[in-house]
Parts: sequence; structure tokens; C-alpha cells
Amino acid sequence: MSGRAAARTLWESARPQGDVRRRNASAWLPHVTELKRDMRRFADSDEVDMVVVGCGAGGATFTQRLAHAGWKVVCLEAGPFWDPQKDWVSDEWGSHHLYWNEPRVVGGSHPVPMGSNNSGRGVGGSMVHFAGFAPRLHPSDFRVRSGDGVAADWPLSYAQLRPYYQRLERELPVAGQYWPWGDPHPYPHPPHPVSGNGEVMLDGCAKLGIEARVGPVAIANGRFGNRPHCIYRGFCLQGCKVDAKASPLITHVPDAIAHGAEIRADAMVTRIETDREGRRVTGVRYVRGGREYVQRAAAVAVAGYSIETPRLLLNSTSRRFPDGLCNDHDLVGRYVMVQGAPQTAGRFAEEIRMYKAPPPEVSTEEFYETDPAKPYVRGFSVQTVSPLPIMWAEHVAEQGHWGPDLRKRMTDYTHWATLGALCEFLPQAENRVTLAEETDRHGLPVARFDHSQCANDGQLMEASRKVMEEILRAAGATELMTVERYAHLVGGCRMGRTAEEGVVDADLRSFAVPNLFITDGSVLPTQGSANPALTIMALADRAACRLAGKEPR
Amino acid sequence: MGRMRAWPGKGAGAVGRAGTWDPVTAGVVLARLGPRHEPALRFFTPREEAVAEALLDHVLARSPDDPPVPVLTVIDDRLATGEYDGWHFADLPQDAEAWRRSLAGLDEDARLRHDGRGFPESGYGERDRLLRHVLQLGSGDWYGMPAGHVWKLWTRYACEAYYAHPHAWDEIGFGGPAYPRGYLRLGRGLREPWEEPR
Ligand SMILES: Cc1cc2nc3c(=O)[nH]c(=O)nc-3n(C[C@H](O)[C@H](O)[C@H](O)COP(=O)(O)OP(=O)(O)OC[C@H]3O[C@@H](n4cnc5c(N)ncnc54)[C@H](O)[C@@H]3O)c2cc1C
Ligand code: SF4
Repeated sequence: MSGRAAARTLWESARPQGDVRRRNASAWLPHVTELKRDMRRFADSDEVDMVVVGCGAGGATFTQRLAHAGWKVVCLEAGPFWDPQKDWVSDEWGSHHLYWNEPRVVGGSHPVPMGSNNSGRGVGGSMVHFAGFAPRLHPSDFRVRSGDGVAADWPLSYAQLRPYYQRLERELPVAGQYWPWGDPHPYPHPPHPVSGNGEVMLDGCAKLGIEARVGPVAIANGRFGNRPHCIYRGFCLQGCKVDAKASPLITHVPDAIAHGAEIRADAMVTRIETDREGRRVTGVRYVRGGREYVQRAAAVAVAGYSIETPRLLLNSTSRRFPDGLCNDHDLVGRYVMVQGAPQTAGRFAEEIRMYKAPPPEVSTEEFYETDPAKPYVRGFSVQTVSPLPIMWAEHVAEQGHWGPDLRKRMTDYTHWATLGALCEFLPQAENRVTLAEETDRHGLPVARFDHSQCANDGQLMEASRKVMEEILRAAGATELMTVERYAHLVGGCRMGRTAEEGVVDADLRSFAVPNLFITDGSVLPTQGSANPALTIMALADRAACRLAGKEPR
Repeated sequence: MGRMRAWPGKGAGAVGRAGTWDPVTAGVVLARLGPRHEPALRFFTPREEAVAEALLDHVLARSPDDPPVPVLTVIDDRLATGEYDGWHFADLPQDAEAWRRSLAGLDEDARLRHDGRGFPESGYGERDRLLRHVLQLGSGDWYGMPAGHVWKLWTRYACEAYYAHPHAWDEIGFGGPAYPRGYLRLGRGLREPWEEPR
């Protein structure tokens, strides 16, 4: 590590936490399950300052920031208010209920199965079962059109988002080695010890001269406020019962409740209401316990994930918006992106037991930026992933193994290590969410997501597979298997400089209706090769600060 | 699966460690070992049951010596209650309907090729060939559905049921639930004292 990196790391990890606590005391407050009992309740007829739809990465962060600034906020969440001790288990199949299991239809030439990659429901959103990788985007991600001549530029720059990245890294908190890529930066918590899977990646990369780093993961290393430390049990994608891994349920909701926000769970929003002329939104219609209610609000923020957010807007038609709210320019539901996420596994003579320790351990961003020597633009990152038995079985079955072959290969589980890539697929107008004929139990049309790859996407998938194979081989793998997968849906209501370019502006305010905001992953115009949650939270933080006039100095 | 390690007997393996699990997890996992509620099947008709059982025997290579891992009843339960995975391919109907149609298709394929004998009544080798045929069709059409997507539906449901079971974990060396105990010995070639060499 260079002297500067060492000095910055020391400064970051030794700094007092007073500012974190003043901004967001979640980690120091009683457990959310306790706080919930005395939570403030608003009446439907109260016109609250803001109603937020969805309590996930974007929605919960936005709610906490506005409540902290003194706003009256109600956050409506379709799923339950989880109690990690009672509702989550240390078991793969037993965690099926964490997913959004209402019907969705997937089509296109490269359809994206939801399955174990499905978005979440319930307070905390998808971060309840996200792996926990928490990297930032690179500065180049904000100007892909200027830099590479493809996709789009963001209406804001990396520098404008940087302070928010920093704030959130301290609040989650993020653990990892000094980060040499993009905008180099230290992390507040030191890197976690790695398991067999992480050792394989570090070893393979070292042999090939590829820089790799431990982290960055949103898992406290050591205590953080009242939050306990990680016990390396490996069930991060099943919800962290320990409360060591960050999710808004424990990182932002406690402070929101302490500042008078109401998190109203089991409340499925079915429509955003506007005034007669469609000039302003007036509240939202929602179903709770089979009954329909309308919560009045001076402003609305939609944060239901890249599929449900466009679906809600498309389902909210009116005379003014016959094709869906904010859809004057046919942008709602378009440019939905997934990262190409092939996983390559290697077999080793010794036991790896990849199910131990958090799956997110080690990453490299050596291949992140455009390399003029390559036939494709943009790039990919490589990270550790550690499928549990069911996902591993699907991995093996995907290779065409079945019957005796499948069972036999499965008995070798403890000898395999797995890496995953995140390829920056480019946004395309035809990759979109529309409404299907099929309806859900509320009688609302469900979302259909069509996805096709472009040539650049395919080249990235291929290139990343080769790199992962080389790393595993260098570490001593004798046999390899790759499955093509996708991960991390973002986009669908992208931000832009003008109403023709985006649904919302850089402050996440919709161009069509000035008191309607979109504060989740659907606003991303491009996705980089970084996992998106931290960026989504940073954008929501920035939007809330701009709105409340409390920008960090 | 005679080649595999013998079923280690009650009380050993993952289930033997149930005392170290938190009660909620133990409740969920141990329920997979107990009796299933009646009526045993609610979704599959008797004919579909016969076809599905034969199909699952092939997909999961099950033999009479295998430890008892319920698969058909688990799938039936999911389809009866609509506990799907939250998505389906646009060129396939919803999971329940896709299961019905694909089972009828298999039976029909068998009858056409084997003088009117259905899928369960065909011999092992015959069934194996019929399934290989479906797999080889890839994205080609099979009874109005892309064969590859049907194949994924079958293997997905089969794997989700089978590899959720503690007996299957013992077979592959997975430790099972690990809360509140966690792991202390991380790294290549390292084992907890209770982890058996594989
Ligand atoms: C298996 C998996 C692993 C992942 N791993 C990582 C990772 O390692 N790192 C990373 O950065 N990202 C990861 N992600 C992605 C990350 O979790 C998401 O990108 C992020 O949480 C999305 O944030 P969001 O605010 O857009 O939506 P969400 O966090 O999904 O929140 C949306 C919320 O809105 C609710 N909602 C939806 N519609 C309605 C409605 N009509 N009414 C009321 N409520 C509604 C939903 O129930 C949900 O709780 C992972 C995702 C998955 C599925
Ligand atoms: S490995 Fe650590 S962070 Fe992951 S679920 Fe377990 S305790 Fe939580």
C-alpha cells in the first residue's frame, strides 16, 4: 500500500463517529423491532409532507433523511415489517418468502429469470437478501456517452455524488481494503478475513498479476454501535439474522422512526392519485388487509424497484396521462438494464467449502474501464460468489447435467470455488417493462420485462468468462463450469437533463409533475460494473438533502 | 445411487446438529422430515402423479436405496398453493399450467413411440431416450412450448425440493444452518471439528 493510501486509511478508520451518529443514529438506537412499537401513526386524511412507496435501498434512505430534517413522512411498503429473529432463517429454501413472488413475465431474446435473483419485499427491500458488495461507481460511469460514444451521460457528475457515497459508507458501514480503482478511497472498517473461496481468488489473481482487493462489503467488521459482528455463517443472501450485514431495516429505518416517520408495512400501493388536471399528485391509493385506502400527501416518492416502479406509473393512468404517469415521452419502463453476471466455478483437489463466510469477499475492478485494445467498450468486475446447495444445483443442471450425472457432481460441492462477473450491459430502449395481460390478486396488470443483449454485451460476457477461468486455473482448478446469468436490475425511469431525455432530473424530481419523485434504482441511466445498492442510496440521500435544503458542506 | 455414501442413519449428519440451530430455523428445516399433511396431493391428478414421479426419478436419479427426500409432494404443494418463483417465461404459461401441459406431453410422446404405453409404463431406457429427446430440442417447439424452457422448469422445481433437504446436504457435504454457531475455521482445506473430510 502506498504511503498516501495508508495515511488515508488510518484517518478514515480512526476518525470519531459523532457526525455519523448525528446524521443517522440507527446503529445506536434500540432494535427496530422495539422502536416499531411506539412508532408514530398518521391518519389517511392527514396530508403528510411526503409519502414514499417502497421501503428498500432508495425509499428507506429517502424516508430517513426527510424525517431527520423534520418532514412528516409515511413510507408504504407492500411486504411485511420483518423481525429478523422471528421471520428469517438460516436456510436457503426457507428464505423464499423474502422475494417478490407475485407473478411477473419475462421475455425477449435473452429473458432474465428472476428466481434467486428476485427483488425483495418487506421493510429493507432487496437489501435484506442482497449479497452485501458495496462498491462505488467510477467517475467514467457518469459520462459514458462523452467518453465511449455509447449509452448516455448522467445529468450529474461523480464529484457531485462523492460526499453522499462517503456518508453512506460510514453509515452501513462498509469494510474493505483501500480501493485503488475509480476514485481511490479508503473504507471505514478494515477488511474481513477470507474463506477458501476468497483465498482462491486472491491466489489466482496474485499469480496472474491482477490486482484484487478484499471488500468492499456492507458488513460491520467488529461492533458498530449496538450492532453485533459477523459470525461468518454464509447466509447473507437469506437475510442476516445477526444484524451484521447492512439493510435499511437496521441502517436507516430505526432513525427514521425515531424522527417520527411512519413505516406502514403490508400496504400495496396500486395507484398514484393526481388532481383533476394532472398537474400535481395528491396522494396514493393502497390496499391493506384487503381494504382500499387513500393516503393524502403533499408530495410522493416512488421507490418500488426497477420493475414495480414503472409498473405503478404505467398503471396510474388518467385523462392527462393516458399512457401512464410521467410517460409523455414514452420513457417510463424503457432502458431497464441488467448486468451480465456469468458465474465460473472451478474444482480444486482440496476442500474449499465456499458456503462458509459471507459470499461477498474479494473483488477486482482491473477490467472495469474501456480498453482501447479490445473490440468492445466498457468492462466488467470480478467478485467472489458462493452459491448454497439449491443455487449450486441449478448451476450444475444449467450445464446440461441431470440424473446420475447431476447427483454425482453435486457430491463434490465442497471442492468447488465460484467467481462471478458483473458486465456493464448497455441501456437499450427495447429492454423494457410493460404491462402484461395477466393480473395479480388485486386485479392489476403484472409487469412484463423483455430483455435482449446487444453485440457489446455478448463480448463482455465472453471476455469476463475467460478472465474468471484464468484466475481459477492459476489458483489450481482442474475443472471449470460457467453459467450465464444476469443480476441487478436498474433503470426503467432514467434521469436526464430534459424531459425528452429522462423521466426525472438529477434531483430525482419528475419533469411532468413537480411534486412527484422517483428515488430508487430505476433512475440510473447507465450501470457501470459496480453493484448498485450504494449508488441508489447515495442518489436518494442527495435528492432528499436538495429537497430539504440540507446539503452536506 | 449405490456408489454414493450410505444414508448415515437417523440423528447423524445435519439433522444431528439441529440442537445448535435457532428455534425458527430448526422449525422450518425439521418440518421437511416429518409427515406431510393430508390429502397428500392436491394439484396433480393420479395420472399426472404417475408421470411426474417417473420424470423426477430420472431427473434426480433416485433409487430405492436413497434416503427419503420428498420431492413430488413438495412440488404438488407449491403448485396447489401458487407458491411459484415470482416469474415465468413469456412463451410458457404460468408454472402450474406448464407442469400440466408438459406432463401430458411426455405421456403423449411415450404413447406415440411405444405402442400406446404411457411414460410411467415405458421401460427405464425408453424413458431416458424420451427425456434426451426433449433436452436435445433446445429452443425448439415441444407441444407449443420451447423445450429448453420446459426442461428448466422441471429441473428447477426438482432441485429446489431435493437440495432443500438435510439428507441431500449430507450427501454433498453441506453443513446446513449455522446460526447462532457460525464458522471459525475459514480457508482452503480447513474444517470445523464436526465437518467430515470429503
Ligand atoms: C440476490 C441479490 C443479490 C444482490 N446483491 C447485491 C450486492 O451484493 N450489492 C449491491 O449493491 N446490490 C445487490 N443487489 C441489488 C440490490 O439489492 C438492489 O439493486 C437494490 O436493493 C434496489 O434498490 P431499490 O430501492 O431500487 O429497490 P428495493 O430495495 O427492491 O426496494 C423496493 C421496495 O418497494 C416495495 N414495493 C414495490 N412495489 C410496491 C408497491 N406498489 N407498494 C408498496 N411497496 C412496493 C418492495 O416490496 C420493496 O421492499 C442484489 C440483489 C439480489 C436480488
Ligand atoms: S455471514 Fe455475516 S453478514 Fe452474512 S449473514 Fe452471516 S453473520 Fe450476517
